[in-house]
Amino acid sequence: MTYWPVKALLCVLLFLPVMVWAEVCAEDEKGAQVCLPEPAKRIVTLSPGATELMFAAGAGDKVVAVVNYSDYPPAALKLPLVGNHTRIDLEALLAFKPDLVVTWVTGNPPAQVELLHELGVPLFSIEPRTFEGVSSVIERLSVLAGTEKEGFAEAERFRKGIAEISEKYLSAEPIPVFYQVWETPLMTVSNDHLIGKVLQLCGGINVFGDMPRLVPRISAEVVLQADPHVILAGSVEGASDDELDHWKDYSGMSAVARGNLFFVPASPISRPTPRLLEASQLICQKLDIARER
Amino acid sequence: MIRSLLCLGVVALAAVLLALALGSVTIPPLGLLDVIQGEGSALHRTLLWDLRLPRTLAAFATGGLLAVAGALMQVLLRNPLADPYVLGLSGGAAVGALLAMLTGMGTLLISGSAFAGAMLATVLVFGLAHGTGSWTPSRLLLTGVVVAAGWGAVITLMLAITPSYKLPGMLYWLMGDVSYARTPWPPLIVLALSIVLVLPLARNLNVLARGPMQAAALGVSVRPLEWTIYILASLLTATAVTTAGSIGFVGLIVPHMLRLVLGNDQRIILPACALAGGTLLVLADTLARTVIAPEQLPVGVITALLGVPTFLYLLHRSR
Repeated sequence: MTYWPVKALLCVLLFLPVMVWAEVCAEDEKGAQVCLPEPAKRIVTLSPGATELMFAAGAGDKVVAVVNYSDYPPAALKLPLVGNHTRIDLEALLAFKPDLVVTWVTGNPPAQVELLHELGVPLFSIEPRTFEGVSSVIERLSVLAGTEKEGFAEAERFRKGIAEISEKYLSAEPIPVFYQVWETPLMTVSNDHLIGKVLQLCGGINVFGDMPRLVPRISAEVVLQADPHVILAGSVEGASDDELDHWKDYSGMSAVARGNLFFVPASPISRPTPRLLEASQLICQKLDIARER
Repeated sequence: MIRSLLCLGVVALAAVLLALALGSVTIPPLGLLDVIQGEGSALHRTLLWDLRLPRTLAAFATGGLLAVAGALMQVLLRNPLADPYVLGLSGGAAVGALLAMLTGMGTLLISGSAFAGAMLATVLVFGLAHGTGSWTPSRLLLTGVVVAAGWGAVITLMLAITPSYKLPGMLYWLMGDVSYARTPWPPLIVLALSIVLVLPLARNLNVLARGPMQAAALGVSVRPLEWTIYILASLLTATAVTTAGSIGFVGLIVPHMLRLVLGNDQRIILPACALAGGTLLVLADTLARTVIAPEQLPVGVITALLGVPTFLYLLHRSR
């Protein structure tokens, strides 16, 4: 009926938008624009945090392999492993034929990530460092996985939750806090770390907030000098909660005198994932208790 | 003599083929043949050409380099406890590499830094031992051991002040890891060249092993020979450490193992070290990446675990 080149042109014009729409792009933490020809179906995550964020973005059923310690959500425990985030089994990873590999900026060994890049594996590097960063990364991951509906909803839920906490504690009485990351060597966090930001969100003043390093190693003396009113530490399931016992020797410390030595679950607060919301609410509660005393 | 070298060569080839076939994904022998002929699945082809072949060849070259360097050091210092790292070379390389990691440089600069550190360590020990003119092996050894301790202190300092997320990378470099090797050609070429260079000197080395006075009396120019061996051994060690970090045990034990079986003729021992050292490291690396896969172990752990019983058995048998 119509001249066949016209038919062909019509076909191309008809399918062109579909071809363009099928491509998904997002910018990763290193500033690289990552584009996939179609939403990813076989995703490998190279850090426990990345696994959690991928599930939060609604793409949990597309994850085919993870690394050690990917323990949340529980569904991730059933997934096969490709080694440790500091030492990846590249052969096992390639055997899964992934169309997207999510890496952690500071966690994965640069030499192995470079090799994956050279082999042409699509890489997306993430490592959120702020609350907005967490929401943004969930949104970007959901774009790449084609699960925008769930991802954007989850990101918005997190945003709203953090905004609520922020508003509630805007006029709260500031209280000096010390967060103990590790007992020996004694380590804490600065305000560049997400834990530091959570403390600030709840109206706490991190006594080591201005330190230049992200996770400074300090001595007990400077803690005694700073005299926080609250001491917090992360507790691990199954381990005994005795990491704060050594402070009880210093009965002159405000925190010890008032009995403000608290534990919060370590895993939700240590990873930049939506569980931070619940963890923040818990820490804010503890700080409220401390304010009463 | 030639027969033992041929035997070692066959064993080396078998080890390399085994390493190419085994891994988290086992490639069956037919699959291997397919890939070599250019067919075979895309996954197998990527695994073989891009991952396993460079890694296995790098492991072979590094093992050979360390073993030959160890043999040369033992002749130079006339001390059976000498290994390639005794003069502080690996310490200097480690300081260079860790410094590069601390300042966040890329992998190429880390290798370059490690090499520069190793060369600096060589020059430093050589210069310090030279002192007032004449140096003896014991003076060189003493200077080297003390400088190595100095490097060790600097390494400990760097490990203490580095941010926690950089620590695993640094520790793995210190333990030795063949997966760092991106291209096997530099160490392979250095190994081949060094064997070619050192074989003509092997006869003189046999004489030198008896002592400098006897060697001089028999017409060997002792001082130039010792310098040549020192520089060559340093170059071999620097290349090995730059390729795969500081892998221990191979340089010390492989020459001794071969001496128990083949005697002490350097003309046989040096090429045999290249073959046996390479074989040991290839087998160790294969084990390191498969024994608890997908977890990856550092190869230095396996070399010691494999080598210690083997050496003790050979020692027992030789009595």
